Amino acid sequence: MTRLRITGGAVHDPANAIDGDVRDICIENGRIVASLPADAPTLRVDGMVVMAGGIDIHAHIAGTSVSLGRRLLPEEHALDPTLAPPLDGGSIPRSGTGGTVPSTFTTGYRYAGLGYTTVFDAAVAPVAARQTHAELDDTPIIDGGFFALLGNDEYLHRQIASGELARAKDYAAWILRSTGGYAIKIVNPGGIELWKQNVREVKTLDDPVGTSSVTPRRILEVLAGAANELGLPHPVHIHCNNLGVAGNVAMTLDSMRALQGRRAHFTHLQFHSYGGERGKSWSSAARQVAEYVNSHPEVTGDVGQVMFGDATTLTADGAVEYLLHTSTGRKWINSDIELETGCGIVPYSYKEKAAVASLQWVVGLELFLLSNDPWRMVLSTDHPNGGSFMSYPDLIRLLMDRAYRDEKLKSVNQKMLAGSALADGIAREYTLNEIAIITRAGPARQLGLAAKGHLGVGADADITIYSRDTDYAKMFSTPRYVLKAGTLVVEEGQLRRAPAGKRIFVKPGFDDTLLRDLGKYFEAYSSVRLANYSVTGLRDAPVPTRDA
Amino acid sequence: MSEATRIEENVTCLGCGCACDDIAVVIGGARIREARNACALGVRWFGDGSLPGAIAGGRSAAIEDVLREIATLLRSARAPLVYLAPDLTCEAQGAAIAIADQLHAFVDGVTSSTSADGILAAQRRGRASATLGEIRNRADVVVFWAVDPAASYPRFQSRYAPNPVGVYLPQGRRDRTVIAVDVGAQRGPDDADVRIQMTAEEEQLFLASLRASLAGRALGSQSIAARVTELAARLNKARYAVVVTDAESPPSVPSGRADSLIALTQSLNATTRCALCTLRAGGNRNGADTVLTWNTGFPMAVDFSRGAPRYTPENAAGARLAHGEFDAALLVGNTSAIPTVVRAALGATRIVVIGPRASESTLSAQIRIDTGVAGIHESGMALRLDDIPLPVRAVLPTPRDTASLLEALGSAIAAQGVGP
Repeated sequence: MTRLRITGGAVHDPANAIDGDVRDICIENGRIVASLPADAPTLRVDGMVVMAGGIDIHAHIAGTSVSLGRRLLPEEHALDPTLAPPLDGGSIPRSGTGGTVPSTFTTGYRYAGLGYTTVFDAAVAPVAARQTHAELDDTPIIDGGFFALLGNDEYLHRQIASGELARAKDYAAWILRSTGGYAIKIVNPGGIELWKQNVREVKTLDDPVGTSSVTPRRILEVLAGAANELGLPHPVHIHCNNLGVAGNVAMTLDSMRALQGRRAHFTHLQFHSYGGERGKSWSSAARQVAEYVNSHPEVTGDVGQVMFGDATTLTADGAVEYLLHTSTGRKWINSDIELETGCGIVPYSYKEKAAVASLQWVVGLELFLLSNDPWRMVLSTDHPNGGSFMSYPDLIRLLMDRAYRDEKLKSVNQKMLAGSALADGIAREYTLNEIAIITRAGPARQLGLAAKGHLGVGADADITIYSRDTDYAKMFSTPRYVLKAGTLVVEEGQLRRAPAGKRIFVKPGFDDTLLRDLGKYFEAYSSVRLANYSVTGLRDAPVPTRDA
Repeated sequence: MSEATRIEENVTCLGCGCACDDIAVVIGGARIREARNACALGVRWFGDGSLPGAIAGGRSAAIEDVLREIATLLRSARAPLVYLAPDLTCEAQGAAIAIADQLHAFVDGVTSSTSADGILAAQRRGRASATLGEIRNRADVVVFWAVDPAASYPRFQSRYAPNPVGVYLPQGRRDRTVIAVDVGAQRGPDDADVRIQMTAEEEQLFLASLRASLAGRALGSQSIAARVTELAARLNKARYAVVVTDAESPPSVPSGRADSLIALTQSLNATTRCALCTLRAGGNRNGADTVLTWNTGFPMAVDFSRGAPRYTPENAAGARLAHGEFDAALLVGNTSAIPTVVRAALGATRIVVIGPRASESTLSAQIRIDTGVAGIHESGMALRLDDIPLPVRAVLPTPRDTASLLEALGSAIAAQGVGP
């Protein structure tokens, strides 16, 4: 289908300041155009809600750690076999399995079925990037990209230790180029390397990582600086130290202050917004974090909401997973990866009757409800860590429907909720436009994707159309129509087509004198030849960086 | 060499799971003349690179006709098997799995016959592991549990551990303690610093006692107490210990070794750091497990007969073949590397082979199409034994590319109608 006029729907396109106006959206050759001839095919969507396709800024869907997680969960997959959908022409439909870490084809189909058309994998070990690309190739419909892990990398730490900051920046650029990544990811800066050295706790941003010249603070500063100097469309994407630990809000705020005035994205902030004291008490510190973000426009974040039910915790932050394994007795994967990063996986269930899970649920909702600027605090569950992406519709209902939220709040464990803002009552209900911001326009702006997240002329024709329902969970779980690059992939609520998605990546420039030094390092320490490191053959065009 | 030669550098060898990627392959006269840096096993795996290029047994010589014929044969089967033999790229493995999905077939590979124990144990317990680069740079105590890599993984010690210099081991071998654990006739390396011996019958008790000792509990048996205490002390003193075990030659009698070694290495992380390293043989075996996992959620023995993946590791290809469950089989890859128990049971099944030297296969196959070997004639991705993905590169032309051929077969099957 090369042309289509979508007519009669209420358009929610906050990037273009359109809030529910009934207007036509015209599509030609996969993009949105200003107008079409009168005889162009028409899709009538009277009474429905029209938004850009959803964008997931932070999920774990493709790569070695995700597939280690899949392999760990046969019992979950056995409970959720998924038949190949009946598709029209073109691609051969594929079966799969679901659960919290679905197989690749099922991941693509399910995201599209929810109206999501772009997804970023948030944590890829650079050395294993080619597998992420292979898995994304097998994840249909959605456009995909990933963030390359760089906060615990031996070569980077060496550059910081010796004050070679230009080379550190060149290395970051080289990593993104050679992996086909989109942004720089830091997980527990320095803490993964320390875990490998059997040091299990990072107490302050100034703890030494091997040497006193390498600290979490320096790693944050150097990589935030590199991302900004390279003009990357998305700033450095930070998973702070001490995830999931009582009292970690101090570290989170210290990290934000360390980068004050510089663009930075802080991810799954729910997991980093706890008051209290390690081993003693827990409380919500969402208000402090929300207030900091509210008053610092250079900061963006996503929430990492916890949703009750099964999850799989899956992260580069290996030390955390060891703690979770010992505290829950659940099975545990750890993989230390090539002087670059780590990986830990533990299946988990968030239960309403559990005090900590209930606190986490409340902290996430407070971050949403206390943040003034939805453009800078967007929706995520850190899929599958806080819950599956399949729970997004229910999360949207919690944000839009106070009565539903308050009813739910009564059913959760109250032990740690004293004094929390949500327990005291928050009246705010998200509007449809605010939902459009936190699920598409905001992520697109944070990611620097000019052609995504909106319905203006020139945008990719990734469009989701919902039938109105007072039950917002129902409304957002079953879109009536989804278009991906102008192709109708969901019609009348049924998945009908599954075109391949595109890859979203950057190719920043770097000074290639780096390669001489890097070559020596590879020769001395790497188990892979430098010549075999880089991913080749990416077909799509890179997203430009400011330096390019 | 008088003829013109060229050298392909940094070639990845799939002779075993080590996947050494520093091979310089010397080509002359369309033959491999030399595989520099390769071990004896690697040299054998590369061979001279010559291959037949036939299409045998079809009613026509035209590949399109033969693919249609195969599609008809497979679609008419009540219970087809798709079997992933070694020497395939991940791309070819993926294409074969897609066909199994289309056909509602059963798909499996060598893992279920050779290495299922370790995979099932890891699905019960998880696993504490590390990639080979991490082991190379960090492991100061290296335990070879009933394996001497010299025979089947010849360059493991020189490339990964214990020999190389590492970031935290500036003096290489001298900074490491190598412990050989001999279990009956399964011996560790001869040049180990410490040797601990036990009979096969003692192994389980030893492992249980070792875990008890590390947990500070009393030992089970006086007869092994001294050996247990010694090993426990050395493991506890390690900064970063690695236990290396061979997933391809488990004890002949099910012994629980895989399960116990996982539990041991996980529990050591309470006090120090420890990883388990499981050795896998060649031909991209980890690739088959992983590609199957991302496609279906399961690493082996996947049954699509109900339209969606079901996991039946207790009833894998070998057992099903022995029961005569399949009426057709598509064997993809190097059929000479298919385990004997599977080969022997293929008997009465109608067979199609697509792989290197298919035309020379001794299996009684109806149709045989020669393709190339991953990493010699075909490019793509393969996984090292630690699941690190590496590029593999064609250094010689392939008769026909397996992945492309399988995609064409998938289209031919689709063209004959949706669903079986």
